[in-house]
Parts: sequence; structure tokens; C-alpha cells
Amino acid sequence: MKNPSRHIAAVEIGTSKINVLIGQITPGRGVSLIGFGECQANGVAKGVITDFKQASDATHAALVAAEQDARVKIDEVFLAQTGGHLRGFHHPATVNVESAENLVSRNDMQRACELAMSKELEDGRIVVQYLQRPYLLDGKMVGPNPERLHGEKLEGGCWTVHGDQAVVTNSIHVIQGFNLKVADMILSSLAAGTMLTTQQDRQQGVLMIDIGAGTSDFVYYRHGVPFITGVVAVGGGHLTNDLALGLRVTEGQAEKLKLRHGRGVVASRDKSDKVWLNGDLAIGDRQFPRMAIETITAARVQEIFEVVKKKLGFETNSDNCPAGVILTGGTSRLPHIEDAATRVFGVPAHLGELPAWVGEKLSHPAHSTVLGLLHYGITGRSDTALVRRKPKRTFLRKLFATA
Amino acid sequence: MSSHRAHSSATISWRDIPQEVKPTVMSPAGRRRLNRQLIRNVLIGVLAVVLVAGAFEIWRTVSRNPQRFASAAGSRPVEEITLETNGVLDLAWAEQTLALRRDVGLMELDLYAAKERLMATNQVRQAVLTRKFPATLVVQLDERTPVLRLRARQPGGQTGEFLVATDGEVFTGSGFDRDELARLPWLGGVGLTRAGNHFAAIDAIPRVADLLALARENVPDLYASWRVVSLERAAHDRQLIVQSAEIPEIIFSLESDFYGQLARLDLIIERNRARSLRPVQSINLAVDAQQVPVSFRDGPLARQQPPSRPVRSVSAKPSSSSLVTFRLP
Repeated sequence: MKNPSRHIAAVEIGTSKINVLIGQITPGRGVSLIGFGECQANGVAKGVITDFKQASDATHAALVAAEQDARVKIDEVFLAQTGGHLRGFHHPATVNVESAENLVSRNDMQRACELAMSKELEDGRIVVQYLQRPYLLDGKMVGPNPERLHGEKLEGGCWTVHGDQAVVTNSIHVIQGFNLKVADMILSSLAAGTMLTTQQDRQQGVLMIDIGAGTSDFVYYRHGVPFITGVVAVGGGHLTNDLALGLRVTEGQAEKLKLRHGRGVVASRDKSDKVWLNGDLAIGDRQFPRMAIETITAARVQEIFEVVKKKLGFETNSDNCPAGVILTGGTSRLPHIEDAATRVFGVPAHLGELPAWVGEKLSHPAHSTVLGLLHYGITGRSDTALVRRKPKRTFLRKLFATA
Repeated sequence: MSSHRAHSSATISWRDIPQEVKPTVMSPAGRRRLNRQLIRNVLIGVLAVVLVAGAFEIWRTVSRNPQRFASAAGSRPVEEITLETNGVLDLAWAEQTLALRRDVGLMELDLYAAKERLMATNQVRQAVLTRKFPATLVVQLDERTPVLRLRARQPGGQTGEFLVATDGEVFTGSGFDRDELARLPWLGGVGLTRAGNHFAAIDAIPRVADLLALARENVPDLYASWRVVSLERAAHDRQLIVQSAEIPEIIFSLESDFYGQLARLDLIIERNRARSLRPVQSINLAVDAQQVPVSFRDGPLARQQPPSRPVRSVSAKPSSSSLVTFRLP
């Protein structure tokens, strides 16, 4: 009996960890999570591969672990893309409706889209993803499908995300080095946002910020689509670094202090309130003011949010962001970080919650991106497309597939 | 949410990055994966070639010389026949009936024809033949058990003795103990019809077999005296007539419970022995459960000799008799 299911790996090459999640996609039956692999990242700084060999070894170790966990061979990879090299811009394009009756045709929509995507990039830049915005017909928003509507001028717009060609190529080569092909590349923020926001949130307006170790990815949804995306090359690692410099401790000790006593806002008012570095009273163990730790972490958290706010380019309020701010990523576990976000953005902020069907093993906020990659794989690309594509994979091609 | 992947010629998408696999840029894990894939592909290719070549060779051989397969498989002749049966047939009968050639190969053997030979006698209800390699033929038989015997004219015109099984099948019988067969009642009052090389099964026999089994189990003394079971009235009156050594006519109803009828018969015979010395001519158990007509012959109770040969019908008309009705509790 023919088995039409595919095994897809969602791969996130992060600054601190590399996550691989294998899903079995069966047409008509959704996706089943069947394997997970995790590995400490090496050779990656701020989401960018800096040492190809180390990054390859770490990624391949995570892929091997995931394949062993799932006991299947991966067919193709959905790769998350992040890093400070990513930038985005909006490029609108207006076309006159060609029809004599002023009815929008598919051809008009196609021309508007092509025009919106036609803006040339600088040398060394490469398109990572086009995100279509709703059409405007004679200045009024008409949604994603204005076909056969009456109007004279059709405006299409795309949010184009582009990145450094060398950086993107390196991440693809890492996957190639495991004898696999990248089937799709998706922004980390979009993947996480797909999992953590509802359609209603996206329609009303919501900002999702994924604070990782090296970068903070954000996506702002409006009218049901991603409007603005961006990456800030600051993450939880900077909090650790700040603590290490400010308190004159090693990075390992600073990481411990951050996890135990760090906060998103300063709550301590007592300067004499001190905490132990290790708490074991051994040689080298010493005390630090709790207020100092909280001040350092809160300042950096506030800075991250300020930079995100600046990159958004507008003031968020209850009109344009009624669903508030959703926080995720490893650093979102910092206590009271949502209070800091609320202060900066002026709208309610809360931690993102993964759906109930996600098992306990994957319920950590740091896994929202890989979960979103798989979710994006079956929802962003329609199921019917998967089904239609299947017959093209002939028996001989499957038999001698190199992936 | 939708994303466009089309782009103008001026811009480059990540999809334009070539993704050809180059082993030189692979990590050891990737190379191992590639090598495993290549080996698997080669093995699948070789297997496919072998299968195709094998299929072609078989087709060519079959089309040119079909006997080659049979002779090759039959190179090892049948050396032993094993018989498993629930009856009386023995290995000698099986070997004689199968009549296998001395040098016939195990694979060459036509099991269906051999099975037909075994089942040619109605004594075998079911036969299963199994090849047990390297050179053994296993024969499993399910035999019929006789409950009655009868005399009938064979196709050649001679009269022969046959046995009747519980399912009504008529067969000649082989391997049975003669003394055992001599104790079986005769079947009378029935006309046999031919069905091919056999007699057709007698419809009423399963019900008769029930009566005989009950009698043998519960009133063995009475059963031992039964000489003839007649089906003369079975079709129209739904009655069985049994002739025993002492009573010329015992009428059973096919419609009612045999167990009760046997109990009444036993009771009546016991009471008659206790009260009267006159011999019983007839006991009709088919009338009523409470009233059983019993007719007597004149004269003292006399031990009758068993008939030397079966009779087709039982006479129920004595020259002079008296009728008494037994009222049972």
C-alpha cells in the first residue's frame, strides 16, 4: 500500500541552541510530531553562522538525534531564518484597472504584485520572503482577493524581507552538508507568530516578539497578515554579558544570576538586599545586591523593547495593536518581562502560550519557532498543494531519492 | 497569510541558491547518510535487475519446456506415507487406494486427484493431503461411522451388504470389525436411489441415528435386541418401526422426543414382564405420551430368534391378538 506521508524537519539554528523537530505530514490528516533533536549551538553569533564547521557539526548532531528519535529519514527541511542581517521594507505599487468596465481582473492583481516585488536590492542582498499586504482599490482596503470588484486604481504592496546573501547561503549549505535540501525558508518571527497568535489577534493587530539568546525577532500583524517584521541583534545573551561586566563575574556565573534573580522590571527597593552567587558558602562565593541585578537586566530588556519600538516606526496603542504584545523565546521566561513590555509599548503584554496539543516535552517557549515552522508548513502552504504535488513524485524518483 | 515566491529578474531569492549536493562540502554525518543512500539505491537496483532477470528466465523456461519445473521439483520421490485418521482405515488401505507410482516425486504428485481417489468411497467424509518435505505424504482422514446396515442390489446385479452412516450416506465399509457390524440393526422400508457411483444419502437417517444413539446410551439391553429399523412409514406417518428380537413392532414417532418414547418403552416392557407372560405383538409409542396401545399375541412369552436376514417391512398384523392400553403417569 502506498504511504503518501512525508517527513519534514523544522530546523532552527539559534545562537544558543539548535532545535530540530520532525513532523510526519499526511495529506488530509495534518501533521504528527514524531521526533525532536536538540544540540548546543557552536559557531553561531547573533543568529549568523560564524564558524561553518562548528555550526555544521552541531546542526548535524541535532538532525541525527531527531532522526534517531523519530526512527525515520528526513525528506526535506523547513529552515528558520533569523539574524541581524535581515531587513525589510514595504514597496507599494499601483496599476490602473485594465478592463473597460473597471472590474479588477486576476491579471491586474498579478501586475500589481510583480510591480511591488520589482524593487531592486543592493548588491549582496537576497530576498528571503515576500509578505503580501491587503490590496487597496481606489485607496480603500479590499483584502487579499479584489477580483471582479469595481474600481480604477489597484494598489498592491509587499513587505519584502531580504538578507545578506552569504549568510543565507551558509545556512543553506549547512543543511546541504547533511545531504538534505531546504524546501522552504521561513522567518523565525513568522514561524513563532503562527503558533502563538490567533487569527482574531492578527486581524485586530498584535505584536509578537521572540527574544532569543542572540537576537530578538518581531512581527507585527494587522488585517490578518504580517505587516512588519524585523530582527534586533540583541537578546538574552546580552543580559548575561551586561551582568558579567557590571558585576565582574564570569559569563557562566552571570547566566546563573540572570536565571535566578533577573527581572524585567526593578522591583527591589532595598539596596541592602543581597543574593549569593552560588549559595554554597564555598571559596569564591560572594554576595551581590539584588537591586543591581534587577537594574541591569531591566535596563537591557527595556532597551530591547525600545529598539523594537523604534524599528516598528510607529507608536503602538489600543487602536493599532488591540491584541497587545505577545512575548516568547527563551528570555521571555525572565520574571515580569511582560510588565516591561507593557510600559514600553503602552498596550497589554503577556507571554505566548502554545496550544494544548503540544506535549510537555515541547512546551518550552524556545520551541515555538520549530513548532511554528511545521505549522506554517501545513497552513501557510495549503494542504491541497501538498496533495497535488505528491503524484509528481514518481515511484522511481522516490526509490532513488538522495534525500 | 500568503507569501509570493515569484520575483523579478533584478532580485535574487534564496531559492536561486543552487542546492546540488556536493560530498566535498558535507560533514562526515552527511557523507555517511549519502553513502547509505547510494548503497541502498545500488542494492535496490541490483535486486530489481535480479527480479527482472529471474522473471524472464522463468517465463522463458515455462514457454520452452514446461516439464522442466515438474521434473526438477519431483526429483525426490515419495518415500513415506503417513496416515492420521479418526476411524478404522489403515495405511495399507490408503496406499492401495492412492495407488501411487513407485517413483512419483512429492512435488509431482497431483494432490487433488489423490484426494478424489480417497473420497471415492463414501466411508471417507473428508481427506486432507499434505506434502511434508523432503519425501513424506501426510494423509489425514475424517471417516464416517456406521449406524445401520442394509442389503441392496449393486450395479452388477448382485446383492451386497452396505452400511449407513449417521448423515445418511451409504457406503460399502472397509476395515470394520465383523462382530461389531453384526450387532448393527438392519435398515428396511427404504428405496435407494443412485447418485453417480454411489447411492444417494437417505434423508431420514440423521433422525434415526439420534434414536439409535439414545437407545445405545440409555437402554443398551433394548438396543441390543433391535434387529430392523423400518422407514416404511417415515415419509407419510412420520413414524419409525423397530423390530426387536422380542417384539415384532415398536412404533416411534419422528415428531416427538425420542428420550421420552424410549423411557415409556422401557417402562412398558418392565411392567409387562412383571404382570403378564403373554408375548407383546406391538407397542405404539406414537399415539400419545400418556396412553400407549400395546397388543399381545396369544400364548406365553416366548423368546424369538433374531431374523437371519433383513426384512424390507415389518408385519404388524398378528393372527390373533388382544389390545391393551397402558396408562402412564
